Amino acid sequence: MSIPLLAVEGIRKSFGARRLLDIARIDLAAGESYVLTGENGSGKTTLLRVLAGLESAEIEACRYAGKPVDLHDYPKWLRHDVIYVHQHPYLFRGSIADNISYGLRARGMTASACEPLVREAIAWAGVGDLLDVPSHSLSGGEKQRVALARARVLHPRLFLLDEPTANLDAEARHQTMKLIRDLCDANSTVVLACHDREIIELPHMNRLHMESGKIDAQDGHAAVG
Amino acid sequence: MDWLATTREAFALLFAGDAELWQIIFISLRVSLLAMLIAAPPAIGLGYFLATASFRGRRLLIVLTQGLLASPTVVVGLILYLLLSRQGVFGSLRLLFTQEAMIIGQVLIALPVLVAFTISAVQGADPRARETAVSLGASRLRSAWTTLLEVRFGVMAAVFNAFGRIISEIGCSLMVGGNIAGVTRNIPTAIALETSKGEFAQGIALGFVLLVVALGVNFALAFAQGEGGGK
Repeated sequence: MSIPLLAVEGIRKSFGARRLLDIARIDLAAGESYVLTGENGSGKTTLLRVLAGLESAEIEACRYAGKPVDLHDYPKWLRHDVIYVHQHPYLFRGSIADNISYGLRARGMTASACEPLVREAIAWAGVGDLLDVPSHSLSGGEKQRVALARARVLHPRLFLLDEPTANLDAEARHQTMKLIRDLCDANSTVVLACHDREIIELPHMNRLHMESGKIDAQDGHAAVG
Repeated sequence: MDWLATTREAFALLFAGDAELWQIIFISLRVSLLAMLIAAPPAIGLGYFLATASFRGRRLLIVLTQGLLASPTVVVGLILYLLLSRQGVFGSLRLLFTQEAMIIGQVLIALPVLVAFTISAVQGADPRARETAVSLGASRLRSAWTTLLEVRFGVMAAVFNAFGRIISEIGCSLMVGGNIAGVTRNIPTAIALETSKGEFAQGIALGFVLLVVALGVNFALAFAQGEGGGK
């Protein structure tokens, strides 16, 4: 079996007496798509945030592409490979283009080098008609599409998407689904937390069911415990 | 006293370009603007740090900063006077009764205002702003800058409030500046002096300038907030 893109052992997190996460092992293979299902409060978002380095947890061991890493002291190179998108994405004040180019500029890219990439990302997300709209005036679905474009333009190897289609109307959900399908079909590894049947039943989707902080059911390529 | 005549005299002084009066205004603005330029960057940085970092004693430091908001400016002046006077620890620097001493005093008065307001602005920020910046690969410094930009109207309120406090403070300026004409006499100390001498015209003119500055600063903040959606 090939080396997993991300392999984490012994993830534990508690809040008082309540166990939020208790996962013996999770392996995510490169290029695969995973959906985390489970009731609200089962630990889906917490797991994504721990993997993104936005929340701390006890972790026994973690390897990224076979290399040991410390998720508490998230190294810069790993940050460039892993992107987390909130359930309700936050867009910075400014234009859509400013938002999409943010990560590129944070990586030291010049404005002129960013421009064609941003243009391509805008076309991919289908938000070209929103260029003059201030970011804070966008609808939930439009924000989600801009956030996905902002993440995709960085070409991360691992996408962590938290409930990307939650609370969207039918049209917005349809447009967002198109982008998610596209991400899953590409070479990246995608992990989604969601309740959306359409996503859960996508072909080649590995399903991981969470309950009380544990992954208790699986199919596909994920090794879990 | 004929209030109308005195007020008319005050505006005549102001608009006739009275050299002494305008020098007082210039000294006031110079001292307070320089104090803000020196105090604002480190204070905003410290405010951000205290709002986001987690370490033992952080809560105590925040409470201390908030407590210092109410510190009487005359006490700041007294402490600074003792430090800068000839027998003081920094007596050899010969800063007492200079504009530099007034600037140091105003920096000390502005610091807690800037820090406390910045803490409040950053703590009120949407936590997703910083997380998004971090997740998109921003360095610690860049994500801090991004968060501060997202709450810029709160930070601007910190700057304007601090400026309003120092441009109108009298206790410290009087203690360490000495109210020397043409050197350390600023608007508040001049108003106090002229009023004590019964010269109300200059006092009213200077009071008017102080009011215009204070109102102008608040209008600028309100305008900026309106332009930016009011957040």
